[in-house]
Amino acid sequence: MYLYNEREQQLIEQRVEQYRDQTRRYLAGEIPDEEFRILRLQNGLYIQRQAPMLRIAINYGLLSSRQMRALAQVSRDYDKNYAHFTTRQNVQLNWPELEKVPDILADLAKVQMHAIQTSGSCIRSVTSDHFAGIVAGEVEDPRPWSEIIRQWAALHPEFAYLPRKFKIAVSAAEEDRAATQVHDIGVHIVRNDQGEVGFEVLVGGGLGRTPVIGKQIRPFLEQQELLSYLEAILRVYNLHGRRDNKYKSRIKITVNAMGIDKFRELVEAEFERTRGGELRLPEAEIERVKAFFKAPDYEQFDGDDASYLSELEQDKDFAIWVERNSFAHKVPGYRAVTLALKALLKAPGDITDVQMDAVADLADKYSFGEVRSTHEQNLVLAHVKQSDLYSLWKALSELELARPVVGTLNDMICCPGLDFCSLANAETLGVAEQIQNRFDDLDYLYDLGEMKLKMSGCINACAHHHVGHIGILGVDKNGESYYQFTLGGSAAEDASLGKVLGKSIPKEQVAEMLEKILSVFVEQREEGERFIDTVRRVGNVPFKERVYATNH
Amino acid sequence: MPLIIDQQPVQQDSWTYLASEEGVAPDLSSVADSSDLLVDWSCFQQCKEQLLGRSGGLGVRIDGFANLDELSCDLDQLSLVAIEFPSFADGRGFSQARLLRDSLGFAGQIRAVGDVTWDRLRFMHRCGFDAMEVSEDRYSEDMLKAFGEIEVRLQGAADDPRPIYRQ
Repeated sequence: MYLYNEREQQLIEQRVEQYRDQTRRYLAGEIPDEEFRILRLQNGLYIQRQAPMLRIAINYGLLSSRQMRALAQVSRDYDKNYAHFTTRQNVQLNWPELEKVPDILADLAKVQMHAIQTSGSCIRSVTSDHFAGIVAGEVEDPRPWSEIIRQWAALHPEFAYLPRKFKIAVSAAEEDRAATQVHDIGVHIVRNDQGEVGFEVLVGGGLGRTPVIGKQIRPFLEQQELLSYLEAILRVYNLHGRRDNKYKSRIKITVNAMGIDKFRELVEAEFERTRGGELRLPEAEIERVKAFFKAPDYEQFDGDDASYLSELEQDKDFAIWVERNSFAHKVPGYRAVTLALKALLKAPGDITDVQMDAVADLADKYSFGEVRSTHEQNLVLAHVKQSDLYSLWKALSELELARPVVGTLNDMICCPGLDFCSLANAETLGVAEQIQNRFDDLDYLYDLGEMKLKMSGCINACAHHHVGHIGILGVDKNGESYYQFTLGGSAAEDASLGKVLGKSIPKEQVAEMLEKILSVFVEQREEGERFIDTVRRVGNVPFKERVYATNH
Repeated sequence: MPLIIDQQPVQQDSWTYLASEEGVAPDLSSVADSSDLLVDWSCFQQCKEQLLGRSGGLGVRIDGFANLDELSCDLDQLSLVAIEFPSFADGRGFSQARLLRDSLGFAGQIRAVGDVTWDRLRFMHRCGFDAMEVSEDRYSEDMLKAFGEIEVRLQGAADDPRPIYRQ
């Protein structure tokens, strides 16, 4: 993984001291609330319903075991012994004290971590494919490019006060695990007809109040000009994005209002002016960054491991876990393992300090000391030998990190909702619990096949409900939490926005509603069909008729 | 109003600002012909000939909506462009300054006015502002530390176009 050199380390340390002084001046009454709000957000600090919340950056989801232990330590020293992994591969502490945040950041800086631009109206931390570097057929590893973008964006003097937040995702595989089509900018690493590797660039995707699928702004961009092009897009947005209405200030609105052709024209004009300049990436710099992401020293295996095959044969539970929670690795004899942070009756994405320390140890033992976070709020050990899978499974089972639910209804994405978030309109955690209680028969869940359930506690859509196969949006009706369903969304390569099923329902009916939806699916489904494909084939109507049928 | 130029406080500001009122240009004769005069965009457009005929320096003050292309042909007549920051959340001025310096090659003074405080001074400097006008109640000698809070520049800007890998 990427390691900061002396100067980059100096930057994150000076950023901590800068923020420490901002906090001091705020507490001394020298910075007004509204200004400090912007300053603290640029450093990941929200003021939530119950306490401040600190969002710590995990750039493109990559962590070392050492960093994982540091997270465990700060959760012990400054919080309530747990942390929460988010849908943008970052991690949050829910109970830090505002006065202590500079100390937390100083501790994190010692292991090259920070909270730079994890919130606020600036370029947010860059996300990417959690299986980067290990999937067969990937055009190129997207992580070096994510890192190059991260460096350009970090404390960029021109783009710290944008009209609104700005999210960039990078992907290089056929399957899009980074939701690139619903980001402000989606970067696809592609190969053109001449065999050159470059980028397809999408712009203006996003969720929130007005969900939009990103539009192609450039079919092919030369590698070396990545930053010049991104800078051109950001400059046009910074100058033209609306600032009078925060609900109309994302780039998706700018692009839609202007039209993609006009927007492209402005970007291309700016790009023509700056391309070939200092922002052009020298080959040596690209190679320097790539060198940090070289494949680890894999052992060589000819085909599958014999003991692993017999363990699969003998232990059905193990075999189920392998099928559900592990993923093919391009190197023979290895698999990637997903650690499901979807424990029964716990908030999705939550992990305790004990679990974090244990995961760090397991990463050292089985996966070259590397841990990854996913946008589906799970963790990944990406390079596990087949012969180690059985012992890893045993260890994860003891840690309650081996629930074989990845890709099922119970692998739901869920924001913290009303219990923690001051923006939320409705509760989510209790509803997640209700769903998990109702659907505890794993065989039934497996029969249903791939299912993406995403639940947000408000229209800001942190859990990406618009792109869930089933999306649930919590709304407030006279002080009560109600839930609106959407069907048919996807954040993957076949991205689409879900369609609203009908009127919202009260909290106690959510699991029952889901049950009805699933019963229609089971009836309508063709052999082996995924839920999303059935919805796309038959539309919302059969579902609507069943779930809103009046009782006779 | 306290003024910082080239990262140092200055006592004397040679510029006098005359603002239009509801689109009506101010009386230019209230300022001596040889002194430096700063006017807003509306006044500049209305009285361009008269303004260009003066012997003193000429400056134009623009807001975030200004189209810099319209200013570009007269840029060599100007010694100062003042860019207004209407609020702490508004960052259009950063891009405007970069376009003025990097794209249009403006070599005169670029002055930040309006919401100008400690925590944006460094970014303003990096984007090409060499002068910052700070309101009396937000000014302190201490705020000059802002320029040195972070000494590492990952990306190029108007102060130094080289990203870290070219430095």
